[in-house]
Amino acid sequence: MINPTQLNTLSRYIELIFYKTYADLRAEAERTYLGFLWWIFEPIMYMFVYYIFFAIWLGHKTDDFVPFLLVGLTIWQWLKSCLSHGSETILGGHALMQHVHLPKVIFPIILILTDSVKFLFIFSLLLIFLWGYGFEIGMPYLALPILLLVQLLFTTALTFFLAAIIPFIPDLRFVVENILLAIFFVSGIIIKAEMVPVEYRAYYYLNPIVNLVEDYRNILMYNAWPNWSTLFLIAIFSIIGIRLCVRLISHFEYIYPKVMQ
Amino acid sequence: MKQHSPIVSLRNVGIYYKRNRGIFGEPFWALKDVSFDLYQGETLGVIGRNGVGKSTLLRLLAGIIKPNQGTYINRGFQASLLSLQLGFTYYLTGRENAFLSGMLMGLHKRDIQARMDNIIEFSGLRKFIDQPIATYSSGMIARLGFSVAFQVNPDILLIDEILSVGDAEFSQKSAQAMQERMRSNKTVVFVSHNAVLIHQLCHRAVWIEEGKSMAEGETMAVLNEYHRFLGLI
Repeated sequence: MINPTQLNTLSRYIELIFYKTYADLRAEAERTYLGFLWWIFEPIMYMFVYYIFFAIWLGHKTDDFVPFLLVGLTIWQWLKSCLSHGSETILGGHALMQHVHLPKVIFPIILILTDSVKFLFIFSLLLIFLWGYGFEIGMPYLALPILLLVQLLFTTALTFFLAAIIPFIPDLRFVVENILLAIFFVSGIIIKAEMVPVEYRAYYYLNPIVNLVEDYRNILMYNAWPNWSTLFLIAIFSIIGIRLCVRLISHFEYIYPKVMQ
Repeated sequence: MKQHSPIVSLRNVGIYYKRNRGIFGEPFWALKDVSFDLYQGETLGVIGRNGVGKSTLLRLLAGIIKPNQGTYINRGFQASLLSLQLGFTYYLTGRENAFLSGMLMGLHKRDIQARMDNIIEFSGLRKFIDQPIATYSSGMIARLGFSVAFQVNPDILLIDEILSVGDAEFSQKSAQAMQERMRSNKTVVFVSHNAVLIHQLCHRAVWIEEGKSMAEGETMAVLNEYHRFLGLI
């Protein structure tokens, strides 16, 4: 079991994670005049552009395509920012780890936390947009925290994996962005499942992101409950993935500082 | 001091890096065969020319890396490197950077809070502590960096060359504080290529050459051997 010294060390690391998250967010806000207001304005501008293009120019005013798209894009944005930023965290911590021993898993955790805080701003704006658009809050909203948690687990597993291997193969950084773009197109962010040919649809639903995005749309737009069984499966696999990746990272704990930059 | 048993022991320790990236390529042995003991309360000097593995040795002692061969025993003592300005972030205030840096170096937030007055006092940044360090001069940043690092008081303090920082006045003040700590009953490993400093500050010394420990013992004797090797005497 955990002895008092280990408990003390653990509490120190947790404190460090939260303070560093706070510090990173603050440093980012301090870099601009408007500071953290950009976390609100930027998504507003972003949503506005999509609204103008699809709703007004292409005439998708009545078929709910714009909310459909914005739900998908918002959810995708969270996953994507954690993966593309998070993948470089252990590599980026190289200078720091020459001076002090820290469990390397701390680096991706901090990034996931900062990006998730920013996501919460964007997500709140999405909700406001949807309510303004005419969608109502129903009972299925109760499932929203669970859905967010499952996505967080899923994101964490993938981010840990990338962060663990990229220090050894930094060239992957250039590949990750394009793989993410490819995944974007097959994750139901911009297309409806009905557009996928019937014979491929079963494979299409093997993609966890497709299921997550559909669950969000069910809750936020169609007043329907998420698909609990797939959600449960994604959660289980993510937890297993996180455990394996944490072991992978701690296996390399004393190797990472020796990997030459 | 030597009547106690050692708190850290190295026997034939070797550490390699890979020549190419990561896990690939030929091993390059930064340390090949290093043996010595560290005793409670002593200041141990590690002398050697540049590039003989002194920094790798400090990283091993700080628990950052592990040996690839030989035995390394630390009998439960916390060792950390004196790192100046660790984790300093440009857009944060002096106070926030003190918290961040202190926490990275192993302090609890409450410990730093308790020592904040000392940090402010020692650095002489009273008026500026709540301003972003982006507005500081490099001398002010150096003063803050030292003042925070000095608050970290591990069982074994590891020092790589640096004893003092900043302008003339602060340099003297920081050197004095550091030397007082080294002369007190603190266990210190001081790495340097400066024989004069090692002679002044250290009870015992180890001489490292090409990743091997060539001599260990009383400072003067080790320095003599080192100088004979360099052809100075």
